[in-house]
Amino acid sequence: MSALVRDEAPALEARGIGKRYGRLDVLAGIDLAVYPGEVLALVGPSGCGKSSLLNILSGLLPPDAGTLAIAGVPAKSFRHWERIAYMFQEDRLLPWRSVRDNVAFGLEATQANGAERLRRASEALRKVGLEAVADAWPHELSGGMRSRVALARSLAVQPSVLLMDEPFSKLDPQTRSQMHSELLRLQRGSGATVVFVTHDMEEAVVLADRIVRLAPNPGRIVEVVDLTGLTRPRVPVDPAVTEQIRLLRMRG
Amino acid sequence: MSSTFPRRFLTLLAQRLLLAGVILLAWWWGAQHLPSFVLPGPDKVTQALFALWNSETFGRDVVATCRRVLLGFGIATVVGTLLGLALGASRALARFFEPLLAVFNTVSSAIWAIFAIIWFGISDATTVFVVFMTAMPLILTSVWQGAQTVEPQYVDLARSFRMSRAQVLRKIYGPSILPHFFSGARLAFGFGWRVSLVAETIGSSDGIGYRLRQAADLVQTDQVFAWTVLLVALMLVIEGGLLKPAERWLFRWKSASKGSRSVAPSSTPASSPSPSPVPSSQG
Repeated sequence: MSALVRDEAPALEARGIGKRYGRLDVLAGIDLAVYPGEVLALVGPSGCGKSSLLNILSGLLPPDAGTLAIAGVPAKSFRHWERIAYMFQEDRLLPWRSVRDNVAFGLEATQANGAERLRRASEALRKVGLEAVADAWPHELSGGMRSRVALARSLAVQPSVLLMDEPFSKLDPQTRSQMHSELLRLQRGSGATVVFVTHDMEEAVVLADRIVRLAPNPGRIVEVVDLTGLTRPRVPVDPAVTEQIRLLRMRG
Repeated sequence: MSSTFPRRFLTLLAQRLLLAGVILLAWWWGAQHLPSFVLPGPDKVTQALFALWNSETFGRDVVATCRRVLLGFGIATVVGTLLGLALGASRALARFFEPLLAVFNTVSSAIWAIFAIIWFGISDATTVFVVFMTAMPLILTSVWQGAQTVEPQYVDLARSFRMSRAQVLRKIYGPSILPHFFSGARLAFGFGWRVSLVAETIGSSDGIGYRLRQAADLVQTDQVFAWTVLLVALMLVIEGGLLKPAERWLFRWKSASKGSRSVAPSSTPASSPSPSPVPSSQG
């Protein structure tokens, strides 16, 4: 994984990002570059602004200071926001849509026609191994299956950047580690850039190429840990992985 | 499993037939002991029913009433939905107009009918107006309440895919409000249908309500009974043949079915199908 291409334009580049809510400085002076194909974790105590930073990176939340560039293009003139997918903490499956229609939901904001949407939704469902339940309703699925459907919905739009806000935090540990390997497998296949927020150091170490640690008051980057040297696949019982998790927990 | 369903169905059918038989018997017995202008027997009512069916004005009257009800209900649906969405979208607007809604809900349909006579005289507009004034607040209230239950998380989801306002309205607000709208509209249609007859008795020169009053004036009690039977049958057909199947299809996602898949307790806040509380001051 040390073969990250650092000489092309960053997939996402934030410069001097600041955000205030009233008199509270949530983020100040954030400089961050995420490179194509990289998996980056944002960690830190609650209130450090990591979710706000993720929302700013998604373009959904305008920053109060600083600039954002996507693949070298300033956010103001960027036109392909549909290539940036966002995965929420909850699966947010629409209960009135079948599994297939939920996966196709994001595609309805694109130019793709009905047949194309259907094809891409089915393909995304196949990638997460759920084509058998395409016609089921969300409430008929288990938590892990719902999470996979949410992942398929994000992948169906074929994003170049996938942003995730503690996406697996509500799953049981076993299902969560299944989702981790699933995510890494799909990420390797598509080459998408992934930025995710987590409070779980184990999750951060298992998934990320780099971990960005933030601290509150105001929200700022205090450390960037490069994990590209850590061999994959990483299992939480591997001594090198455990050691890295321990180090991070001590500092966090 | 396979044998209990027809048995349950047969039991229910037998119960219904028994109930119908008891009522018919009581009716027949009562008719024997009362003058026929008070309570005509089943035989006289059946004769009146056939006479009515074959009379030349029958089709015209039914069509006239249906047209007025559907027109009033249709306008009420459009106006009530738009106003309900507007109130649901703006808290300030809702606070400002809320007292007005209470006023609309407390004014009796009979009073609207009298106003309608004064304003529109004997015309279609009278009945349409009364149906509208009865149905519109009910639809407005249910759409407004439905708009308040729209899950902000789903709106954010649509926004994360960069959907336009129109798309959010169609793909998130629409399906979230639909159950509330459906129960409100059903109630509104029932009320509208009933008050249309009241309006027609005083404000029109044809239609079912007008014929009912004519029959009452001429003490043709058997005709009044015949109309009643027809109306009940019509409502049952609309309910069982149109509304129930439509509801079952529209909200099929709420019932777990389709074989035995792994069913897990879902954590999403699915909007409940319970009918919204609606003011009950119609008359």
